[in-house]
Amino acid sequence: MKKLSKLLLALSFALSITSSAFAVTVASWGGAYTESQKLGYGDPTAQALGVDINWVDYSGGLSEIKAQKEAGAITWDIIDVFAFDTINGCDEGIFVEFDFDKDFPAAPDGTPASEDFFAPMPSKCAVGNILYSWNYAYNVNNVDGTPSTIKDFFNTKKFPGKRAIYKSALTNLEIALAGDGVYMGKGGSEIYKLLETEAGVNRAMNKIKELCTDPNGGCVFWSAGAQPPELLVSGEVVMATGWNGRFFNAEIGEGAPIKQVWDGQGLDYEYFALVKGGPDEANAKKALAMMTNTEMLAGSAKYIAYAPYRLSSLEIIKANEPWYKDGKTEMMPQMPTAPSNTKKYFLVDPFFWADNGTELGEKWEAMKAGL
Amino acid sequence: MSSETKQILTTDGIPLEISLKKAERKNKIKAFLLVAPLLLFLIITYIFPIGEMFTRSIDDKMITNMLPKTFKSMETWDGKELPSEEVFASFLSDFKILVEKKEHGKLAQRLNKEKNGFNTITKKLFRQVKRNKIDETQSIKEQIMKVHKRWRNVEYWQAIKRTAPPYTSAKYLKAMDMYLNEDNKITQVSEDRRIHRILWLRTVEVAFFVTVFCFLMGYPIAHLLATLPMKYSNLLMICVLLPFWTSLLVRTASWMILLQQQGVVNDFFVLIGLVSDDNRPEMMYNKVGTYVAMTQILLPFMVLPLYSVMKTISPSLMRAGKSLGGTPFVAFWKVYFPLTIPGIGAGCLLVFILAIGYYITPALVGGASGTLISNQIAYHMKTTLDWSFASAMGLMLLGGVLVIYWLYNKLVGVDNIKLG
Repeated sequence: MKKLSKLLLALSFALSITSSAFAVTVASWGGAYTESQKLGYGDPTAQALGVDINWVDYSGGLSEIKAQKEAGAITWDIIDVFAFDTINGCDEGIFVEFDFDKDFPAAPDGTPASEDFFAPMPSKCAVGNILYSWNYAYNVNNVDGTPSTIKDFFNTKKFPGKRAIYKSALTNLEIALAGDGVYMGKGGSEIYKLLETEAGVNRAMNKIKELCTDPNGGCVFWSAGAQPPELLVSGEVVMATGWNGRFFNAEIGEGAPIKQVWDGQGLDYEYFALVKGGPDEANAKKALAMMTNTEMLAGSAKYIAYAPYRLSSLEIIKANEPWYKDGKTEMMPQMPTAPSNTKKYFLVDPFFWADNGTELGEKWEAMKAGL
Repeated sequence: MSSETKQILTTDGIPLEISLKKAERKNKIKAFLLVAPLLLFLIITYIFPIGEMFTRSIDDKMITNMLPKTFKSMETWDGKELPSEEVFASFLSDFKILVEKKEHGKLAQRLNKEKNGFNTITKKLFRQVKRNKIDETQSIKEQIMKVHKRWRNVEYWQAIKRTAPPYTSAKYLKAMDMYLNEDNKITQVSEDRRIHRILWLRTVEVAFFVTVFCFLMGYPIAHLLATLPMKYSNLLMICVLLPFWTSLLVRTASWMILLQQQGVVNDFFVLIGLVSDDNRPEMMYNKVGTYVAMTQILLPFMVLPLYSVMKTISPSLMRAGKSLGGTPFVAFWKVYFPLTIPGIGAGCLLVFILAIGYYITPALVGGASGTLISNQIAYHMKTTLDWSFASAMGLMLLGGVLVIYWLYNKLVGVDNIKLG
């Protein structure tokens, strides 16, 4: 039975493998994000190494690569994953472990790779790619005054109207505690300490419940990244949490009347992981080292407002402003890691969510069911 | 006369009976060969994956093989208070073997699925083991408990004990918000985590109402399609089929734009003075949105079977009914309606079964009530990688559909279903 299932899975993947032979295949999220990766570092790396780099879209999670591995027909070399997934994938033996200083080039000034990263990697199987933010934005036409803090997001007296929040517990609990006035600590450490306790979780859930049942407030739950800007522009909500790149795209790219607030933002990371036993592991490793070097990472920020994981990349952007592809927008103030944007923030803790994700998810759904 | 009946022989001397059987067997083989491709296809794409799902949902051998000594020493533990030194020691020795084989990560994953929080503490223990920090001449219990406070919590050891049997029904119980406690009694999980039963009920509720709405809207359309002259009915048919050719996401997104509070429909209501501007009704991001969007998406699946059945009903039957003295309604109810029941059965089953597995549309338009059981299946498939739990829920969903099919068979009869 096991054998037959492997054969079946292998058959189904054999069809897709034909297109990716003799090239490095990278699975990523698609849309403007993959576009920025392809233009920013994918194509230049392919050219420099003389290896084709194919980009395929996937919708996140490790189920596909796990199925490929079980079938013994792996078709992806590199995957763009959440921190959470690199931890799980490392544990399951799906990804290659790195020796950061040996496998990745140092910064131009000689700083070893491991010290050039914005934050240490969550697992040995991950190399940082970008940092993005879970911040919030508001529609300037529908709000009287200027919301400037995370408390304002929950202040329905001063800023009445519906809010859009992410559909699951991830980052909502952190934001709720920050909005409730909890001291965040360095990188949000105090928030996570509180969330380890039952009382902390209940406090966060109650804060969300309060907001959603408030006659002056109310909630819309978004599930796709394109929704928050759309909900803001259509006037359906007055404030929305979302991903800063999407807000940037609406605000600068399309000139929508929205404004971002960085106070209490959640910094989250995106990583590359190298698949163990991928179709072209040797070339993939070379390509990965090049794509994540200082210059290449800086290149992607030309196309999207996500911060390169390497500190030295920021220096390049700073020295060459205006860096955005339109030739007039300065990118540094738009970066989630810019000093002016990181006065009060939390680092989304992958270990916390790897540990508690399922149970908190159940509690979250139970809370939602009672709304 | 001789009592022996003479065997009838064919021309080449073989008894007729045998010769006939032979010929028949040939035909049978031929017939079987003709259906063989389909049979094989069904086995490969349907029976086999379901079997595979079933074994996945009950198979828990991996961890049984990972912690053999631990489970052996746990046999005598009553599960009330922290286990003895012996259990801790055998756990450590099992764990060390796993570390050597680099399988401790898999153990952490598996245990974290049983009880959240194992991920971190297993990794902390791993680091201690790797640095040889644990002195085996001292009390191992004391040392493990020092690694993280959760190792001092009896609930975590109870969770380990629960994973001992190689085959388990735990996933099915979990899908009903229950678990086997240390006394082998089925217990409910704590109240703030009882979510699966809510989701099952919500899923059935949504599927049921979508089916009802599809029927209420699809029946007149199908009737119109079947009775209009060809040139009009063709046009109408295209209107019914058009949604089939449009992407699901596009249709869902259009409903969001139409029905949201600042959407087109509400704007229109305000314009004609039906509602005031600051009191717009909420028709999106709640159940109303789910019902509207799903009904529109699934409507063709109701209309098409109804249409094909109605097309075969002769219009003279209704006339005959009326000429025999029935009012139009009585003629419809006594003559026409019963004849359409096979189409209704087919349409309703089709819509219900499709609706029960839907989750993208409700997730986008359903707001707080947008999570259905299929979302949970997808979550465990993709994020937690708990494929056995996902399999168990998938099979329960399949079982539910089969029960409905069985009920339908009892009440109406399956041979009554007609798709055309």
